[in-house]
Amino acid sequence: MLKHHIDQFAHIEITCGLFLDELQKIWDEVGEPEGDRDTVLLEIEQKCLEVYRRKVDAAKHCRAQLQQEIAVSEAELADIRSAMGEQSPHRDRKAGGSLKKELDTIVSQLEDIRKQKIERKNQFAEVLHQIRNISNEFWGDSEGNLYKAILAETDLSVRRLEELRKQLLKLQNQKSNRLKEVSDHLNTLNSLCLVLGMDLRHIAGEIHPSFNDSKGTKDVSNQTIENLAAAVQNLKEVKIQRMQRLQNLASALLEMWHLMDTPTEDQLMFLNITSKIAASEPEITDPNLLSVNLLNNVEAEVSRLEQLKLSKMKELVMKKKVELEQICSQMHIVTEAVNAMEYSVEALESGAVDPMYLLEQIELQIARVKEEALSRKEILEKVEKWLVACQEESWLEEYNRDENRYNGGRGAHLTLKRAEKARALVNKIPAMVEVLTSKTKAWEEQRGNKFLYDGGRLLSMLEQHSILRQEKEQDMQRQKDQKRVHGQRIAEQEALYGSKPSPSKSGKKASGTPREVATNRKFSLGGAMLPNPKPDKSASRLHPSKKGRRTSQIPAYSVKKHSSFAANAPENESLMVRKPLSPVSPLVLSKGNRDNSLEDQKTTRTSSSQKTFPHSESLLGTPSKWIAVCDEENRTPKTMPIPMPTTPSSVSIPMITATTPATQCLSLGAIMLENNDQPIEYSFEEVRVGFILPKTSCH
Amino acid sequence: MTSVQPPAPGRELSNPPSDGISNLRFSNHSDHLLVSSWDKSVRLYDASANALRGEFLHGGPVLDCCFHDDSSGFSASADHTVRRLVFSYNKEDILGRHDAPVRCVEYSYAAGQLITGSWDKTLKCWDPRGASGQDRTLVGTYAQPERVYSLSLVGNRLVVATAGRHVNVYDLRNMSQPEQRRESSLKYQTRCVRCYPNGTGYALSSVEGRVAMEFFDLSEASQAKKYAFKCHRKSEAGRDIVYPVNAIAFHPVYGTFATGGCDGFVNVWDGNNKKRLYQYSKYPTSIAALSFSRDGCLLAVASSYTYEEGDKAHEPDAIYVRSVNEIEVKPKPKVYPNPPA
Repeated sequence: MLKHHIDQFAHIEITCGLFLDELQKIWDEVGEPEGDRDTVLLEIEQKCLEVYRRKVDAAKHCRAQLQQEIAVSEAELADIRSAMGEQSPHRDRKAGGSLKKELDTIVSQLEDIRKQKIERKNQFAEVLHQIRNISNEFWGDSEGNLYKAILAETDLSVRRLEELRKQLLKLQNQKSNRLKEVSDHLNTLNSLCLVLGMDLRHIAGEIHPSFNDSKGTKDVSNQTIENLAAAVQNLKEVKIQRMQRLQNLASALLEMWHLMDTPTEDQLMFLNITSKIAASEPEITDPNLLSVNLLNNVEAEVSRLEQLKLSKMKELVMKKKVELEQICSQMHIVTEAVNAMEYSVEALESGAVDPMYLLEQIELQIARVKEEALSRKEILEKVEKWLVACQEESWLEEYNRDENRYNGGRGAHLTLKRAEKARALVNKIPAMVEVLTSKTKAWEEQRGNKFLYDGGRLLSMLEQHSILRQEKEQDMQRQKDQKRVHGQRIAEQEALYGSKPSPSKSGKKASGTPREVATNRKFSLGGAMLPNPKPDKSASRLHPSKKGRRTSQIPAYSVKKHSSFAANAPENESLMVRKPLSPVSPLVLSKGNRDNSLEDQKTTRTSSSQKTFPHSESLLGTPSKWIAVCDEENRTPKTMPIPMPTTPSSVSIPMITATTPATQCLSLGAIMLENNDQPIEYSFEEVRVGFILPKTSCH
Repeated sequence: MTSVQPPAPGRELSNPPSDGISNLRFSNHSDHLLVSSWDKSVRLYDASANALRGEFLHGGPVLDCCFHDDSSGFSASADHTVRRLVFSYNKEDILGRHDAPVRCVEYSYAAGQLITGSWDKTLKCWDPRGASGQDRTLVGTYAQPERVYSLSLVGNRLVVATAGRHVNVYDLRNMSQPEQRRESSLKYQTRCVRCYPNGTGYALSSVEGRVAMEFFDLSEASQAKKYAFKCHRKSEAGRDIVYPVNAIAFHPVYGTFATGGCDGFVNVWDGNNKKRLYQYSKYPTSIAALSFSRDGCLLAVASSYTYEEGDKAHEPDAIYVRSVNEIEVKPKPKVYPNPPA
């Protein structure tokens, strides 16, 4: 080529010479001056030079450009290499020869390395992405930036890549660990929930919704794991708590079964619970063993048994109490303890007192009372005998008062015998009392305590008895004296006026006095005593001034009491009895005494036929008919009459009732007949109107 | 008269009679109250409205009155007449006459007859549906052993209490003969007789503070149940002051009864359980009459001197209407199944 160039060049030189020759010839022919010839030739020469110079400049520029390109590429190459951690290979410029060749090699090199770099970058990106994903899973989004920043172009070395890969591996390991942990937790939770009877899905779902999705991946974030751990811990605590409660209940159950001999069928239901009484927490795995329902059931059973136990305890306490009371009553002891016990039974019901304690107390009391009973036994036996003797004595007194005691009836010989025995016994009473007194005193001294019999002191009872006895004897003496004096008086009168029937009644009456004392004593316990009509009557007649008799009055006539009128019933018994000095008048009608003897009535009835009625408005009237035996309406009160309080009260009060005489159906005629000799009674209205029964209708 | 009014013993009706009240009765259909008085009048009150609805003047003191229905009634007067009173026209006519003052009057819804008892020792039955005039209205005259003092009706039974303590029990369907002739169990003059609402017997009160509870059935078992009790008495300085028991009124619902005496007290009794249920505070003067309203919610009390001590100064006559609490009249069961003797 170069040869070709030279050829061309030579050719151009030849052409030029030719052109010069030709120009010479033309000029010669034209005759151009030599000076002009030289100027044109110089001009041509200069133009050629200009063209050359321009060509060289352009070539220089091109070369410089090439060199610059090479430098830029080389720099980039070096950059990439360093970023990728590669040694830049020593490069000889000569190898390539011309600049263009060099540029070519560099550009190709650069292209290669760029490709490499992209590959590397992709590798990094992939690893980083994975790292980021895992860390996101672990810690959430916030910390992912750390890894984003690292993905810069500056360091794409293999070492760095390895590092990242290691990190990734670590994270992956960590993740699998966490997954295992979570599943462990979940398993624990599951078993706990099973035992506690809770809904696992519910609890797990609360911690993270992903746990309920069996196919999806489980959440492994710190928060979740923490929550899971907390939940497990929580449930474990609950489990332990419930377990303790269950075990407490179970032990209570066992105790109660043992105490009350509960039948096995009843126990069977709760056997699975009592079998776990000594189990430790991990041992309890039966499903629902610690569920709230079951616990409540067990608790209900326990409280039922407790109730049962309490009632049985109460029963026992009551039984013991009854036993104690029985012993006390047998031994005639009145202890406050028994009363106090009453109180404690109430306390027991309210739960203030432990029944065991109460039971113990009662046992103690029983033991004490039994012991005391032993020491009292001797004296009590004597007291018994004494009381029997006293009873016989009172019977004897009663018997002695019976007028007809010697009238032979059936069984009379038996009572006679009894009386004989009783008399013998009665004679022994003073000795008995004496022995009893000394024994009791000895007992009291020995024990430093009073001997109480049914709450009262035995000694005072004895004393009272002897006082009563003395009184009785004195009474007896007095009566004897009286009898004697009376006899004397009768004798005197007989001497003066001749004989009279002896008032045997008064003699008999006298013996009745002690009995009256006794009845008084008895009655004073109840309500007010109403005087026994019969003895009272005769007594009042004998000793009119001695007793303040209750008189009943109808107010209408209370004013007229001492005038000649009383309400409706003329008092058949004359006032004479009460006021010995007032004049006897059939119209003096004291309303006091209604227990008339038959004789009294008869006398008044006969006298009443002559009665006159000076004041027509007076409500004179006797009950038109007297029943054969005129019963006092209160004669035999079946119920103890209690006087009605005069103050108004809203409390219902028993009526003062008395039996009334039997209803008699009478013939009209008989009444009419009897009416004739009765004074006529008038009602208030008749008096007010001034109505007087026409006599003709009666006669 | 000058004494201080006692604390309200019930609502006092205005326009009371000017003289003693002989009887008062509530209507069976309303709260109207018919009152007979010694001031020769019969008055009709509306007890719930406290208003005087009518007044009838008679020739003599009126000793008793009763309702026929809500529009008419009857009266028994001391002028020997038995009168019919028609409230709506304020008109009266004479149904018939006795030979002496007529003491009591009762209308029997069972027989449709009016029964009157008089001091002429007879009982007369009248048919008020007949035209007026003795010969047309008189059904029969029945002699009694004594002057009739009190009458009471239950169903077809009529109990007549007379002077001399006689008690005759009649069956209205056969008046020719008393079903039973009895003597009062009490020793003194009979003041009032009232039949039990259940028809098994009657209560009878006397002037001597006593009430006898009697039974019609003559079997031994029934007669064993009868008894008498004391009431309206005062014990002062060892003396019993005994007051007449003027009035007995049975409660229409519970069968318990109120008694009123000259002591001015009204007592309520439970005859089955032998208990006094209640004692109302004292009224100014004697209780002359008592009546429970048809439903037993009201009790009319006539506080009016009954001349038991003759003509003397006394508190003004008054009618009190008091509402009755259930607790005052409801029987209380016995405390002990067997009360200790």
